[in-house]
Amino acid sequence: MSDHGSGRLPLPRPPLALSLGTYIGGTVLFAIALVVLSSVHLGPPRDLVALVVLCGMGLLSQVLAEPNVGSRVAFSFLSIILLASIPIVGPVGCAVVAGVAMGLQPGHVFPRVRLFNTAMHVVVGALGGLLYLACGGAHDLHTVNGAGPLLLQVGLPLLVADAAQMLVNAALLAGIMHVDSGVPWRVIFVRMATNSGVAYLGYGVIGFLFVTLWVPADVGPFSALLILAPLFVARWAFVQYGDEQRSHESALSALVSAVETKDPYAAGHSARMAILCQWIAEPLSLGAQEVQALRFAAMLHDVGKVGLPTRIVRRPGEMSRGDLAVLEKHPDRGADLVSGIDFLADSLEGIRHHHERYDGRGYPTGLVGEAIPLAARIIAVADAFDSLTMPRPHRPALDIAEALAEMERRSAIQFDPRVVEALRRATERHDWTPGDVDADTLAAMTGYFDHDDPEASDLAARLRTLEDPSADSEPVAPQLPQLPQLRQLR
Amino acid sequence: MKPVLRFGRRLRVEAVLATVGALVAVFALMRVLVDPFWLASPAGQATGPPLDLELGVLLAFVVTIAVGELNRITLPGARESAPMSLAAAFALAMTSGVGSAQPLRFDAWVAIVATALAMLIGTGVSALVHRPTRPDDLAARFLCAAVLAVLFRQVPLSGGSTLLTLQTTWTQQRWLSAISMLLASAVALVVQSLITATGTALREHLSWRQSVVDELRRAAGLSTALAASGALIALAERPLGIVAIPVFLVPLVLTQFAVRRFASVRQTYGQTIRTLSRLTEIGGYTPTDHPTRVADLSVGMAKVIGMSERDTLELEYAALLHDIGQVALRTPIPGGATMLAAPTDQDRIARDGAEIVRQTGVLDDVATILEAQAKPYRHVRELGEPIPISSRIIKVANAYDDLVGDKPTPASQASAIERIHLGLGYEYDPAVVDALSRVLARREGREGREGREGRT
Repeated sequence: MSDHGSGRLPLPRPPLALSLGTYIGGTVLFAIALVVLSSVHLGPPRDLVALVVLCGMGLLSQVLAEPNVGSRVAFSFLSIILLASIPIVGPVGCAVVAGVAMGLQPGHVFPRVRLFNTAMHVVVGALGGLLYLACGGAHDLHTVNGAGPLLLQVGLPLLVADAAQMLVNAALLAGIMHVDSGVPWRVIFVRMATNSGVAYLGYGVIGFLFVTLWVPADVGPFSALLILAPLFVARWAFVQYGDEQRSHESALSALVSAVETKDPYAAGHSARMAILCQWIAEPLSLGAQEVQALRFAAMLHDVGKVGLPTRIVRRPGEMSRGDLAVLEKHPDRGADLVSGIDFLADSLEGIRHHHERYDGRGYPTGLVGEAIPLAARIIAVADAFDSLTMPRPHRPALDIAEALAEMERRSAIQFDPRVVEALRRATERHDWTPGDVDADTLAAMTGYFDHDDPEASDLAARLRTLEDPSADSEPVAPQLPQLPQLRQLR
Repeated sequence: MKPVLRFGRRLRVEAVLATVGALVAVFALMRVLVDPFWLASPAGQATGPPLDLELGVLLAFVVTIAVGELNRITLPGARESAPMSLAAAFALAMTSGVGSAQPLRFDAWVAIVATALAMLIGTGVSALVHRPTRPDDLAARFLCAAVLAVLFRQVPLSGGSTLLTLQTTWTQQRWLSAISMLLASAVALVVQSLITATGTALREHLSWRQSVVDELRRAAGLSTALAASGALIALAERPLGIVAIPVFLVPLVLTQFAVRRFASVRQTYGQTIRTLSRLTEIGGYTPTDHPTRVADLSVGMAKVIGMSERDTLELEYAALLHDIGQVALRTPIPGGATMLAAPTDQDRIARDGAEIVRQTGVLDDVATILEAQAKPYRHVRELGEPIPISSRIIKVANAYDDLVGDKPTPASQASAIERIHLGLGYEYDPAVVDALSRVLARREGREGREGREGRT
């Protein structure tokens, strides 16, 4: 009956704290008092046949409930059944249904968890029922006929009872979580109320349909089958959806693992990039949708490398200018490769332009400053930072402060200053664990050309200036034939 | 001007279905005009409900069905469905007394004409917003609703009384009404599945039985929800009147939403697999479109052999990914043709590919297919080794495409077939090679036909 699907509290710790015991005991006493008072006041539940059927359905809903459906959408059939019980068998009957469903719930449940769940649902059921009557809900449904009266005397009070049940449920659950783990009560309560609010509106509507079919339409207990069939199908489809969603994410990770099969030294780079970019995005206040697109772009930014000859990607020897020109095709190749996947449409820009420079000397298109898409500017910063904090054959790993200093030195030249600033704040706020390379791998990497190293970007930019006859501001070195100079620069 | 209906290239099946649908609608219209229901008063009753009440009810249903037509969803497997439209049409076919004790007088033909009118309106509006309806799906929906209307209102099932008249005797046992409505809906839905499956089988030259099984399996979930919703509306009309129509569609809306999400994620999943399959292509390991062509050929062969839809989908994924093991190769095989590589190399590529795919953690069955794709057929005969049929299909399809390449000529095709026949029974499964020949012959026939049509 909450965002936890059926609202069972998490496993308690073995030693039963005194306050936890008191809380559970208090809830149980409250439940008993409510039931006794309402029975005295309203008499025992009407319609025993209906009561038995509803209890059976409540139990069935608990048998069928899977604790983890896998998607964020969870149906609580019990909530619907409890709501429907209110007009059909009255508040006391509703409490009985709740008690039977939770108390006799099959499977292994800790006794005190079972006790609390039962008491909580009895309270929720009884209070909802009383509120329904207080709002002028019809006692005897056989007297209500026609759309208007049904909506006013059953639908509306039921909706009020529904809202009350949701709030009481959230309040009691938040209470026990607070007692158990010390998380502020208000935080849990607000989270639960907002998470399950819409779902409860749905329960209210469906509960009303259920009642209408049961009594005024005279279908009786059989209406359960009719009402719950579409819901079961919906639930089934959502479960399928969850499965397929997971497969889909795995298929995406296969794309990443294909890159890493090709370039073993880049292992783990994609995963680190996804996290780092997400952190940088926080101070820049991107929307949830943009962050999602950014994460995918970060994960797949180098996917174009699979489109390059293995010789160049893993090159242990010297890199010629021709090789470099081939390597520079990887952003375009990557964007083209994933352009067939609809949900990556917003990530394409980030992939295509992640090697642009703020001063316009990057590749593939030489965009300048703010013209570079924000996602690409973020990926560029994260990419360089990740490279700097990794050991490379020609230099040791920089620590975070050194790497940040290096990034700030390049701020407004290679990188967007705003994003570098965001990186600094992200590293202050989170604990960045740089990628690690063991000594053997490092030895084997001799001559490995890390295209993400900022100096590689400088070198490529200089080469491009050389090739461009119009740019004569740069002092022209006679020849820059071999890139391994990169190593000697240090 | 956009076409109102979107006919496929092979339109015979669709045209036949659309014609049958149109004939039924015209027949019903004539019956209504010849014998206007509002003039006849039901037996034993001096006056029925006023005409405007009946027309009001019909109008409410027409609007709901038309709106439902705009709200179509695509099921996994490309068929379109309009659950809200069909549920409302079902309710219309089974409605008996809206909001009063007086039973409605209109018969099945009126319900059918109203349904046809509503579906046409929906289809027209749908075409205006550039989403043409597929005529065969529309016809199947309409015929299914028509079957239900006739079954419920016209056919004397027990002792000369129709289900509709039986409803009045079951006022105290309404659950009997509910069961009768569910059963009648189930019959209509099975008819719809049979129509759709027959269409698919004829259009794509599939085995009829397999098509029916696939169709029933695919439609089972949504049909259950649909049948229940139709009955819900028809039953709830007594207390609620026409308010019941929108209100009791709510559970179905939820179902439809869930199914739509499922279908869309299945689609993007397919796109990701397709992208994965292009890895070898852009890496220069395999010729352009090789994986796609092998997948098309494999799926064609699977249909000839009569594999289930689920197995065919798996085979398609495996065929798309069959060369992915080459990504790890240092230097590409000349022309990417694994068929021409040494057997041990072929095996290694197959294993590497299976390994990459297995890393995804969900495509294990595909990985199993990939692993065995290079094994010669004689292992089955001589060693009794189980090689999945899907692996054998991919082996043949891959060999054919490697030999023919991306620009097939009659000569290269003939020599490829000849070369494959040399390995019959030893390298390749004869039954699968037979399927290949049939797929190729069919393609040739189609191209020949289109060529002739192009000339005239």
